[in-house]
Amino acid sequence: MILSAVLLAVLALGLAGWTFARNKARLLYAGRGSMHSMPVYHGWHFALWIVLPGLLAWGVWSVAMPTLVNGSILADPAAAALPADDMQRAAILSEARAIAADPSVFAFDPLSARLADPIRVAEGKWGTIGALLVLICALAGGAHAWTRVRAGFPARTRVERVVMAVLLVVSLMAILTTVGIIGSLVFEAGLFFKDVSPLAFLTGTHWSPANAHGGDISANFGAVPLFWGTIYIGAIIAMFVAIPLGLMSAIYLTQYATRRVRGWFKPLLEILAGVPTVVYGYFAALTVAPKVRDFAAWIGMNNPSTESALAAGLVMGVMIIPFVSSMADDSLAAVPRSMSDGSLALGATRSETIKKVLLPAALPGIVAGVMLAISRAIGETMIVVMAAGASANLSANPFASMTTVTYQIVQMLTGDQEFNNPKTLSAFALGLVLFVVTLILNIIALRVVKRFREAYE
Amino acid sequence: MSNPRWQTPAALRRIARRNAAERRFRLLGLGAIALSLGFLALLLVIMAKNGLSGLNWSFLSGSDSTDPHMAGVWGAAKGSLLTMLVTIAIAFPMGVLAALYLEEFAPRTRWIEWVEVSINNLAAVPSIIFGLLGLAVFINTAGLPRSSPLVGGLTLALMTMPVIVISGRNAIKAVPPSIRDAALAVGASKVQTVFHHVLPLALPGILTGTIIGMARALGETAPLLMIGMRAFVATPPGGLTDPSSVLPMQIFLWSDQIDTAFVENTSAAIIVLLMFLMAMNGLAIYLRNKFEVRW
Amino acid sequence: MTDIKLQARNVDVYYGQKKAIDNVSIDIDNGLVTAFIGPSGCGKSTFLRSLNRMNDTIADARVTGEILLDGEDIYAASMDPVALRARVGMVFQKPNPFPKSIYENIAYGPRIHGLAQGKADMDVIVEKSLTQAGLWNEVKDRLNDPGTALSGGQQQRLCIARAVAVSPEVILMDEPCSALDPIATARIEELIDDLRQTYAIVIVTHSMQQAARVSQRTAFFHLGVMVEYGETSEIFTNPREARTKDYITGRYG
Repeated sequence: MILSAVLLAVLALGLAGWTFARNKARLLYAGRGSMHSMPVYHGWHFALWIVLPGLLAWGVWSVAMPTLVNGSILADPAAAALPADDMQRAAILSEARAIAADPSVFAFDPLSARLADPIRVAEGKWGTIGALLVLICALAGGAHAWTRVRAGFPARTRVERVVMAVLLVVSLMAILTTVGIIGSLVFEAGLFFKDVSPLAFLTGTHWSPANAHGGDISANFGAVPLFWGTIYIGAIIAMFVAIPLGLMSAIYLTQYATRRVRGWFKPLLEILAGVPTVVYGYFAALTVAPKVRDFAAWIGMNNPSTESALAAGLVMGVMIIPFVSSMADDSLAAVPRSMSDGSLALGATRSETIKKVLLPAALPGIVAGVMLAISRAIGETMIVVMAAGASANLSANPFASMTTVTYQIVQMLTGDQEFNNPKTLSAFALGLVLFVVTLILNIIALRVVKRFREAYE
Repeated sequence: MSNPRWQTPAALRRIARRNAAERRFRLLGLGAIALSLGFLALLLVIMAKNGLSGLNWSFLSGSDSTDPHMAGVWGAAKGSLLTMLVTIAIAFPMGVLAALYLEEFAPRTRWIEWVEVSINNLAAVPSIIFGLLGLAVFINTAGLPRSSPLVGGLTLALMTMPVIVISGRNAIKAVPPSIRDAALAVGASKVQTVFHHVLPLALPGILTGTIIGMARALGETAPLLMIGMRAFVATPPGGLTDPSSVLPMQIFLWSDQIDTAFVENTSAAIIVLLMFLMAMNGLAIYLRNKFEVRW
Repeated sequence: MTDIKLQARNVDVYYGQKKAIDNVSIDIDNGLVTAFIGPSGCGKSTFLRSLNRMNDTIADARVTGEILLDGEDIYAASMDPVALRARVGMVFQKPNPFPKSIYENIAYGPRIHGLAQGKADMDVIVEKSLTQAGLWNEVKDRLNDPGTALSGGQQQRLCIARAVAVSPEVILMDEPCSALDPIATARIEELIDDLRQTYAIVIVTHSMQQAARVSQRTAFFHLGVMVEYGETSEIFTNPREARTKDYITGRYG
């Protein structure tokens, strides 16, 4: 399309301008021997004055053009036959647009075939106008800048100002992402809460979106079993595995291991953190879950299910071990050595020193680490998708199949429903709850860690 | 000669008991590490046992198929490659520039504080949330093609950028102020100082962080499930907008198959994925060791 | 009445390949304060830490030779470092109270060693130790406040009380006043003089005035070697070695 071509042309102009301006500045430099800015900055300054106005015009035109094209088409006599209904009208127009771009496309509606030609004409007309406009902007900018290639012109300062602006805009991306997350979750969840009362969602104990038909569907979206499953698997079973193993590993590595042993074991433990979650999920489903089921049968349970909270939680715990261990490692290392020296010099053994002095002193950091670990565990998806199950059970039996928030988000969004279905939208409501909970955990934990570090600095 | 207070039978028993407790505690620590690494070993051994026999040329060069003996990973691997290209093309420059700005130029204003809080929190937001964001923004609002490496890459880029910013800031922080002073003292501008001196010195550290972030993105499945990258892809994707799958997704899809012959495929694909990750992490460690400067 | 409490015979201390202490032999007597002086980095703290095997806690530190406590080799296999450190207490350069209450700071040692039978007994030990360290009157009404809330000088006296609470036989002090102001230093010095009635005290200091004020014996260390050892009055007025004289008169340090 002509607009893409003109974009390339602007960039080429910029490159050419860069070379011209730099060479001109070099000649100036050779003549005087002293200038405010190096020639290369004049090159950049000139190129920016070509490319930025061009890009700006291009951006404005890209947004404006579809409206202009639409206007032209609706003015065409063939458009008079368009149905009044918005949906049908949009469908025909989009088909016509596809035919205009590629004539081999088959037209389901003869009207769209007739509209294809006017569209092509309109796009050609407005595209050419736009391309000219972009080029004019670029050249005008360039002409303005060309007069500035002078010895005394502070080209470097100007270029650096643009660099700073770019850096600032890029940094604001982080805020934009956060706003995007909150915005999209709140917006879609808002649509969901039009159909389902938030109170019923947060306090209801019955989760069966599949049966949600007809008028009042709130009763089918009680998310408490999901919250319970998430907490039971991520914050209870997984932590039963991860806290003792992670903490004891950190203690051994920081307090007992020689430097060489630590040099080997620490990276090995970190490998555990690098294994993709889908691999853990497969391991849980293939190896751990059948063993857990056999064990459940062996202790006398009737028909234990293959998918169990225990299998998912155990494997999730293993995944979290290195996380807990590295947080505990940092916290223990932050306790000044004089503290353990003081205890050892009184004749305490290592383990007494660790249990009675080091751990209490490092406790805030360790607790914060555990909070971060929990936030990671409850947001973990693949392990529970592959091993925990789909049935929303409100039970304390670790051998029961249980479902979690993340499992249901996946479940609700991988079907073939339309997007505006309450079932699909419930995924965003669940996502919002998950986001808020992990955010609170993270903020508290980061604050505790910060205060803890300051205490020992 | 020696002090009788410490020689009474009671005192000796007490010392013996405390020393036994000490040995038990130490053993407990060693046991914890052994158990954790035991899990890792068990996982690797089981995958190797199930999957090694399935690793052959037709598996490595084929694409997905309903017949487990015909199915291969190349289609998914190519999808991963395209997705990672998009991710790195966006996350790396933006991450590095943001890190430079925050560490070197940013004024201490409320806005910048918000940026920092956002970045720290984004790094800990569950990955599935990024999938929801990608679904709502890139697919539903911007109308980009579902299941495509373009959308997958964009989504993962948003997820990876905070990781790059954080590691980048640490690397930049590690460059001693004396270098900046030296450059400023010979008349370089602040921007020149940063781009000519600080950035090159911090680059190995930034690269290490980037590779680790990319490795995490490569192993990620959940956000891509949200944007529909679970297509059955019998031919490798030709471009950034074709429907495609990625390696971890292929593992997930095969793991769901009833046909037990897919167990071999799944495990073999896991071996391939782990190889990639190990190579990336190895590269990161190599970079760190080779270029790490102790100031 | 003086009798030998600690004897070092041909002691070398290594950190990895580096020799930090070279062939030191010294007798330390009961009822006296012995000061180790010398320029920084001369090994006096290293040697002090080998007297209660605190060097064991440093990864590649190694001690050879013999150190005898009441004639018993403290590096012998039969000597338990835990019991040894209860008998040879230590006070550090920077006050390092545990992040617990004042009471718990003192009670910690007696509790791990099982020295108190019940709460009443422990109360007695705490009061006695704090009294000995001259801190009781200042803190008796706030024993449950955190130890870290005290002033620097009070913290250091708390650490001395903590060491005293397990009834050691020797107290090692590693520059105990270097982090304190002159008034707090004077109080600690008075305290040291009181304590020597009950304990053999070894103090490392880089202040010669302090050594002259508090000690009866002084050992001068230089580059890992013990250059001279004798009565404090002798060392300061009439040193035998030229190096000692140079140091004391301020030629280097």
